[in-house]
Amino acid sequence: MTCGDVAQLLDAFVDAELPAHTLLAVARHAGACPSCDVAVRALTTLHDSIERAAREDADTLDLSAVWPAVEQGIERTESRQRWVRRARRVPAWGLALAAAASAFFWFQTPAFTPGPGPAHAPARLARVLPNQTVIERITSDSPRFELRRERKLGTTLIMVSTDGEEISR
Amino acid sequence: MNRAGRPALIGAAAFSYVIAAAALCQAVDVQITTVRALEHGPSDAQLIALRPRLRRLVGYRSFQVIGQERRRCAWQEREAFDIPGGRLLHVQPKTMRDQAVVMRVALLDGQRTLIDTDVRLQNRGVMLFGVDTDSHVADGALIIMLKAEE
Repeated sequence: MTCGDVAQLLDAFVDAELPAHTLLAVARHAGACPSCDVAVRALTTLHDSIERAAREDADTLDLSAVWPAVEQGIERTESRQRWVRRARRVPAWGLALAAAASAFFWFQTPAFTPGPGPAHAPARLARVLPNQTVIERITSDSPRFELRRERKLGTTLIMVSTDGEEISR
Repeated sequence: MNRAGRPALIGAAAFSYVIAAAALCQAVDVQITTVRALEHGPSDAQLIALRPRLRRLVGYRSFQVIGQERRRCAWQEREAFDIPGGRLLHVQPKTMRDQAVVMRVALLDGQRTLIDTDVRLQNRGVMLFGVDTDSHVADGALIIMLKAEE
């Protein structure tokens, strides 16, 4: 393996995306070649500092309310299940009596009239992604173009072929 | 000029300045970054955070910035950005709608319109245009990153 080969594979090496034997070959070369060693260390340091910054951001998240909310959810589900078990033990005539009572109170209740508040409840807002793009119109002189979208941030790519041939990737 | 005319001139100059400043505020910051995407080779440090996303979208592994330009574009005015390789990117911001910049974007290759589109891009968001180069002439692709910020 030459220094040129290592330069080509440097990014993939730091991201540990190379197959094991290539990874070892790059590591062996960098171990014996001071200039490649410096390049690997520089990129690794940059990679680590970005990773550290991301981890620090994650550490500042306040997750203290998560477990109490989960416990509350479990408690609600269990209590619902307890009620279902109790309801199954009630005899049929009891259920019929309860249904009749409910129907009686339903028809006795005056019709609901809306108050002075807003006429419509606010619509539930959809989550907007930071790079969300809506294509309202698109035309091209090229017979081949593609729309690609990445889900996490909503990044949209419009890929066009200059020679009209199939897009290679 | 006589003394009576001077205040009027100063007033007119101040008025023009205010109008110009207001027009400048009524504009969108457009940043165009052109990136060469290749199968092999190192990537620019400034693209390291974006690299995984670019890899997934474009399919190449190496990304190098070959051009960058930032310009303030007035609403309804069409601005032409030079793209390396002799292409032009026309950007015409139209309006803001639901926190998104509505604009017309056209990518031209000489007389050919590679893409002509009306888009609604989230304010401060980034969208990409990719030009797949002729595989007989060159490898890789050209990626144009467009960021718009009111």
